[in-house]
Amino acid sequence: MTSANGSIVRVLGVSKSFRRGSERVDVLNDLTLDVPEGEFLGLMGPSGSGKTTLLNLIAGLDTPDQGEVWVGDQLVSQMSEGQLARWRTRHVGFVFQFYHLLPVLSAYENVELPLLLLPLSAAQRKQQVMTALELVGLADRIRHRPGQLSGGQQQRVGIARAIVTDPTLVVADEPTGDLDARSAEEILDLLVELRKTLKKTILLVTHDPRAAVRAQRLLHLEKGKLVEQA
Amino acid sequence: MVVWSLLGVGALLVFALLVIAKVPLAYNLRNLTVRWRTTVLTALAFTLLTALLVVMLAFVNGMKRLTTGSGQPGNVLVLAEGATDETFSNLNIADLAEIEVQPDVVHAKDGRPMASRETYMVVNQPVPADAPLGRPKRRFLQLRGVEDPLLTGEVHNLRLLPGGTWFSPSGARLDPEAGGRTASAHPMIEVVLGEGIARELGRDRSPERLASARNPQRLDVGDVFVLGEDPQSMEADGGGSPRARKWIVVGIMDSAGSTFDSELWAKQSLVAPIFGKDTFTSLVVRTRDDQAARTFKDFLNNAGQEAEAGKEPGKPAGGGLKRTTVNALVEKDYYEGMTEMTEVFLVAIIIVTVFISIGGIFGVMNTMFAAISQRIKDIGVLRLLGYSRRQILVSFLLESLVIALVGGLLGCLLGTVANGWTATCVVTGHAGGGKLVVLKLVVDGPILAVGVLLSLGLGLFGGLLPALSAMRLKPLKALR
Amino acid sequence: MKFFLLIVKNVARNPLRSVLTALGSIVLVFVVTVVWSVLSFLNTVTTEKKENLKAIVTDRWVIPSRLPSDYERPLSEGASNPERRGDVKPLDYMTWQFYVGSLDPKKLARENFVIAVAMDASKVTTMMEGLDSLTGEQEEEAERLVAAMKQNRQGLVVGKNVLRNMNKRVGERVKVSGIGNFKELDFEFVILGVIPEPRYDNINVMNREFLDETLDAYPRTHNGRKHLMADRRLNLVWLKLADTAAFTQVAKQIDSAPQLRTPTVKCETAASSFGAFMEAFRDLIWGMRWLLAPGCLISLSLVMANAISINVRERRLELAVLKVLGYRPWQLLVLVLGESLLLGAGAGLFSGGLTYAVVNWVLGGIPLLGFFGICLVPADALWWGAAVGAATSLAGSLLPAWSARSVKVADVFAKVA
Repeated sequence: MTSANGSIVRVLGVSKSFRRGSERVDVLNDLTLDVPEGEFLGLMGPSGSGKTTLLNLIAGLDTPDQGEVWVGDQLVSQMSEGQLARWRTRHVGFVFQFYHLLPVLSAYENVELPLLLLPLSAAQRKQQVMTALELVGLADRIRHRPGQLSGGQQQRVGIARAIVTDPTLVVADEPTGDLDARSAEEILDLLVELRKTLKKTILLVTHDPRAAVRAQRLLHLEKGKLVEQA
Repeated sequence: MVVWSLLGVGALLVFALLVIAKVPLAYNLRNLTVRWRTTVLTALAFTLLTALLVVMLAFVNGMKRLTTGSGQPGNVLVLAEGATDETFSNLNIADLAEIEVQPDVVHAKDGRPMASRETYMVVNQPVPADAPLGRPKRRFLQLRGVEDPLLTGEVHNLRLLPGGTWFSPSGARLDPEAGGRTASAHPMIEVVLGEGIARELGRDRSPERLASARNPQRLDVGDVFVLGEDPQSMEADGGGSPRARKWIVVGIMDSAGSTFDSELWAKQSLVAPIFGKDTFTSLVVRTRDDQAARTFKDFLNNAGQEAEAGKEPGKPAGGGLKRTTVNALVEKDYYEGMTEMTEVFLVAIIIVTVFISIGGIFGVMNTMFAAISQRIKDIGVLRLLGYSRRQILVSFLLESLVIALVGGLLGCLLGTVANGWTATCVVTGHAGGGKLVVLKLVVDGPILAVGVLLSLGLGLFGGLLPALSAMRLKPLKALR
Repeated sequence: MKFFLLIVKNVARNPLRSVLTALGSIVLVFVVTVVWSVLSFLNTVTTEKKENLKAIVTDRWVIPSRLPSDYERPLSEGASNPERRGDVKPLDYMTWQFYVGSLDPKKLARENFVIAVAMDASKVTTMMEGLDSLTGEQEEEAERLVAAMKQNRQGLVVGKNVLRNMNKRVGERVKVSGIGNFKELDFEFVILGVIPEPRYDNINVMNREFLDETLDAYPRTHNGRKHLMADRRLNLVWLKLADTAAFTQVAKQIDSAPQLRTPTVKCETAASSFGAFMEAFRDLIWGMRWLLAPGCLISLSLVMANAISINVRERRLELAVLKVLGYRPWQLLVLVLGESLLLGAGAGLFSGGLTYAVVNWVLGGIPLLGFFGICLVPADALWWGAAVGAATSLAGSLLPAWSARSVKVADVFAKVA
């Protein structure tokens, strides 16, 4: 799974630009990054600095204009859309600021969603879903719909969904942005806990200083380039 | 049958979609329930559309069954040469006799040839003034003057409903209410009615007469109605109009499903003169089977030609038809040819359905586009989790199909309410002529299948564009 | 005014939805317009005229009507008795004798049928429905044809479709063999021209003298035997009457005339006899009026209701904001109703106009059976469309508009996750 030097994510000389009207905006400029397995990496930077773009490239949601992105031993930046879709299910877990749960499905069903794409039996799926929900501490609310859960609980479901396929990488985009102080702390603690017990590699994009504090390494993105912070 | 195989294909398609679908169906169904008002409104449009279609098709179906059910296998209908319809035919008695003795004509149990001499007339009947509101002021009745009703009944394979009889040899009976004037005997004409026309005429009765009627559903044995006039009777004050002729019902034919259901049968020698017709219009003979009927028909049609050419048709069956020139038809063909009207209606129905369907499609499109724009985030998440574009397409297509199917099934159910309704109409044939008939709307399997097919088709077309647009959403954009 | 602009802008906000809704409405209004046009046309045809009405005299009981030739004189005078005061005579009259033949006596198919009305040529432009009210070019053509017929006994003025079936041109000769009751009555006609009225596209006009002479000459070549049709050759007699009072009087005169007894005849207005013909289709007409048209109207309401309720649902937040800003509930109601009215009435008006243009100008009208001629979409259709669109959209949007009115101000703070 890991490459020779133990990095699970390698971003090599990646550039990405977007068109905004008639202008071309260079968001990422010849960026290089190595993420060792099991690291809790934090990404910070002003809005528009490109941190979300970088996240998208690593998560296989977008392809760079130049450079390569390796996750595990897969050259993600060269995959076709179909390949990326299949790859994402197994290898990336997403946690969003606004949770993005399907409102008409229960917590159980939301967590089960990515598993439906894998060749598992119903019994196997059930086992994995229950495990994930227990890990996030919501085993007693599996039938509730998002509308019946608090913000913090919804985010837990989001995290359960992110880990249920046992992915290589967990990517979190402002996971505490919509939560009150206490829930935010709980969620961050949960992420740290998961990293410890499941040895997950976590990429966290955030504005929140509390989140920054829990990261092992903190990187700043400024004008398309990374700057390390102690 | 085309319809059933199309339905099979449709079912297969839906089944295939269900199998391919990875996005759980529960997701679609629950969303439909959450937005129940929209779902109901959209489905109702399908219900209306399907119900209308079912009723229209049931009407045409009734027409078709009527015409195909009227011809008896083996019967040959003989009309005058050049006549394409019974109304305009005048047969020669000598010709009839010659045809009846031909060996091709089968014999009845009593040894007589199964040949029915008939005079078909269309007469005008003014509806009584005390009829309830909404009745027509006048109608055209189909009157068939028949010599021997028992024989004619056998030739056409028609029986009477229990409780009735065919008319007597004289075809008339005295009117018990005549009293007084002996100069005009006022006999009532005995008549046998088809069940359909008996019901139609029955509705002319005023509420008072209905209350004391033998059978409120239709005219029955013993009921009297008026038609035509008795020129021998004049009003006491003289110079007035002749009194109306009375007719008494002596039997009702078990004739549902044929054009005879709208006919009145009475003694030919009595009624033909009343309406100024002094010849027979048609001769119907029974041959052994369809093949024999065809052969005999050709023989009759060719006999005239050969006779005109001066030769005797040296047929081994013996007895050449001399100067007879007739227009013989296989009876089944004659009636089945009366589908011109049916075809016209079918075309009109298709046109109307196409237009209403277009309206329905736009309705479904609206609903689905709105549903998708509401659930853009859901689509984004699903794509993110790895569901492919095709899965998204299938999911939303299924959602629109479900709405269409539920609405359509309800519509079929609603449409079956029309089964059994009666309606009057005119059936005409390719060669002119026409009959006023009372038909029953028939909703059967193929019609319901068409209804379901239409709904599925509309659901598919209406849902396709929106589903395609859902498919094309980029997950990144969707989540912003 | 600003409010109206707001309504317009809202409709333009989601162009896809507005267009789809409008398209659905246009199609449904089209169907309703066509159905109502046909019904209205049938109604006009069967409504009694008040003046200069035409009456038809036919056999009272039997169809087809066959009257003796000596009925002509008394009927032309309305069976009036000069000695009776108050008796009325018709203003004009026309006799019709039908002749049915085939272009090919061996092939009896619809395309070969030639149905001719044998009549007095001069009555074509004075008594024939549709031909007595022509103007301009058509009137000139009709007059020309009448003159041509008077000149040429063998002249035949053909219907447009018949000419096509005959595969001949004006000026050519055509042979027709009588069929059915007209067996052995064969004619050779000269085609003089085409009848300039679409309702007569399938029939032809010939000189009655031609028919009468041929019938009278028949015994000379057939051993003294009279032709089948010799005695009862008159089919219909048309009468023109000044007004309904005159009609009632003449009808009474004819009813009681002793010389009109075998057979007895009935005198009814043209409108009334059309009505009798339509009786056979009574149920069909009922279905059109009470099932088809209402079905479309309800569908229309549903389409509207659907679109508007989706609109309202999506804009709950905005509506709540408007309330916060001080808009009253009734104003929100009007806003929603206004949108739906604009959409519905607009689409309806457009559809009415489109239907009018397409059916009347492009298709040339809706062909109906028999003698009714072509049914045109009446000018009324323009406001029918708008009215139907407005009414159905109002009906459909009442509930959503009411729910818009009752949006809670607290909703403005709802979190949309």
